[in-house]
Amino acid sequence: MKKVLAIALALCMVFTLVPAAFAADLPTDEDITLTMWCIATESDANRPAYEKAVAEFEAAHPNIKIEWEAFENQSYKTKIKAAMSDPNTLPDIFFTWSGAFLGDFAEAGTAYCVDEAYKPFAAELPEVMLQNSTYNGHHYAIPLTYNIVALFANMDKLAEVGWDHVPETFEDLTACCDALKAKGIIPFGCAGKETWCVTEYLEPIIEKTIGYEELGKIFAGEATWNNPAIATAVDTFQDMINKEYFDPAGIALGNDEVKANFLAGKTAFYQNGSWNCGEVNDAGFNAAVALFPVMDPAKATYGQVIGGPADSLAVSAYCKNPELAAAAAFELGKDICHYGYLAGSGLPAWTPDYDTSAVKPIVAAVADIVAASDGMVLFGDTAMSADPANTYLDYVSQVYGCDIDGAGFVEGLTADLG
Amino acid sequence: MADCAVSPKVKAALLRLSRDPGGTASPYTGRKITMHKIYSNKLHILIFLLPALILFCGVLIAPIGASLYYSFFDWKGIGAKTFIGLANYKELFTSNSIGFMKALRNSLLLALLSVFLQLPLALGLALTLGKNIKGERMFLSVYFMPVLISTVVIGQLWLKIYNPDYGILNVFLRKIGLESWTRIWLGDKNTALGAVFVPTLWQYVGYHMLLLYAGVKSVPMELREAAMLDGATDAQVNRYIVLPYIKPILRISVIFAVTGSLKSFDLIYVLTNGGPRHATEVPSTLMINMLFLRNRYGMGSTIAVMLIILCFGFALLISAMFREEE
Repeated sequence: MKKVLAIALALCMVFTLVPAAFAADLPTDEDITLTMWCIATESDANRPAYEKAVAEFEAAHPNIKIEWEAFENQSYKTKIKAAMSDPNTLPDIFFTWSGAFLGDFAEAGTAYCVDEAYKPFAAELPEVMLQNSTYNGHHYAIPLTYNIVALFANMDKLAEVGWDHVPETFEDLTACCDALKAKGIIPFGCAGKETWCVTEYLEPIIEKTIGYEELGKIFAGEATWNNPAIATAVDTFQDMINKEYFDPAGIALGNDEVKANFLAGKTAFYQNGSWNCGEVNDAGFNAAVALFPVMDPAKATYGQVIGGPADSLAVSAYCKNPELAAAAAFELGKDICHYGYLAGSGLPAWTPDYDTSAVKPIVAAVADIVAASDGMVLFGDTAMSADPANTYLDYVSQVYGCDIDGAGFVEGLTADLG
Repeated sequence: MADCAVSPKVKAALLRLSRDPGGTASPYTGRKITMHKIYSNKLHILIFLLPALILFCGVLIAPIGASLYYSFFDWKGIGAKTFIGLANYKELFTSNSIGFMKALRNSLLLALLSVFLQLPLALGLALTLGKNIKGERMFLSVYFMPVLISTVVIGQLWLKIYNPDYGILNVFLRKIGLESWTRIWLGDKNTALGAVFVPTLWQYVGYHMLLLYAGVKSVPMELREAAMLDGATDAQVNRYIVLPYIKPILRISVIFAVTGSLKSFDLIYVLTNGGPRHATEVPSTLMINMLFLRNRYGMGSTIAVMLIILCFGFALLISAMFREEE
């Protein structure tokens, strides 16, 4: 009996090792080169994470070489879409945003289904993290990090006007902004040249006015834009612009310039993605992070956030060895997540199995916010497919330029998107 | 020794030549006849033209044909295509949200400014430099230099000049006490198109100047001298001798300026990307927006086809106008 038990236990052990063996099932007897495209350019906060992950992967698999290229964010969107029209020009592994962006590739069959490759990693990567890259019940990408829209504050500037914490109500925020203005400090900076940066302000205001569930339905096309509360939220945003809470020069600037202004102390607040945590943490001033205040407590709570796991790696369905590329992408994704989290360029989509005591305080603060969040809506331009997303961005840009008011925004989007 | 070095074939040719010094039966005459035969054979002509024809069709005709084909479809660039006939063309001219008419208006405005500002400036420089002035070659190089610089570099340079905070333009205006004149040049809908035009003018004035300068230099000196002897002034020489002489080059310059404005893209893309709120949108930036941001390959191809039609149309129109004048 003991022998039978011993054999059964041994068999169990062997079976439990099967997924691990599958995970490491990367051939080592022949030289293989995998190509990868991403957006981790020299100036990108994620660059060191990619470099370390690729080096670690190549060290673990000496016969596999990763040839990777990085492109600037905006031009990458053009490049990857152009490559999709001739899938033979695609690299084996490519960076993608989940949601509708990846949805088009999955629908067209150019992205490889990673269901099988995911199984060995399921214990380390919760399935909920794949929800934005799941279409018709199948997974098509490996999430790296997840990010939310965060309100970064320069506490040294706030201290100059008597604030020792980030305002948590809208009344307090306006009072703080008025005080900053009176002191000659510009409260906010927002890059008008890149409309997605404007949505980082507008979407939280709308979410905190109508609630995350309603906003999520609107982005998904399940509810109408014809909602008077959205018009009110837009008017609130424009009121802030008209009160000169925003740097007027921002309308002609890109995100890098606006962020540089905040890091240099020109503006007191900067509302943008949590991927900026590392840079804000290392900026040399006393920084804090919070969320945009609640506008309508009947419909929204402070803990409702915009964001989710969006940055991902996908595999081309046209590559020579998609199983191998998918397994490699999972390994790379796990390490990029690991080093990115430690560097402060995002929160981990993968469960950390390493020492996290070195995580930067601002990153830890964002992680706490997410842990306490009541609900999450993916960024609007990621949640919507390309054509409606750009129509939406067009209207957002008109709002920032004060060409249309809240009513015009709602009316236009209702007419164009329903 | 020398006799030994001559081959039998050459000897035979020399013998034929000595018998027929007039050369009517020379090997060269035979070759002429052969070439004539080849040239009169249409198949041979086709074979000779084939490499260039393949290149021309592959590089120019096929992409135009492909664009025309895709313009009849609703297509995301990947996946299945749906044939929709002329619906893209109809939408292009009727939809306010696409804004093609506004983009076209901006392009035509750029074309007008190019023809009536850039070209006269280039012509003035060409006429001045064509008079053998001191330092002529140095000035030529200086004016032509912006043409050689990458457009992206020029875009970055002008982005810095226009920067609302530290840009040299606003700093200069503040220094001379004209603070009220300072603007967010590229962020203001009212100034953005003008602000984009200035670097375009600066970049290409040297190009047109060089074309016209070559024309000015080709005017025979005796014509100028004859006019001068008859008492013509510099302005009269330019008006009655030089300008009529360089009219074909002027026509080319006008065609280049107009078609260049219609398909202008790179500098606008770097400076404003068509913004703010489409104030500097031109058909090319709109086409990129449709193709790669909105995934509307059918509509993007429709804009490409319209651009081709417009460029050819304007080139023919300008040529006809010059011909009529001649």
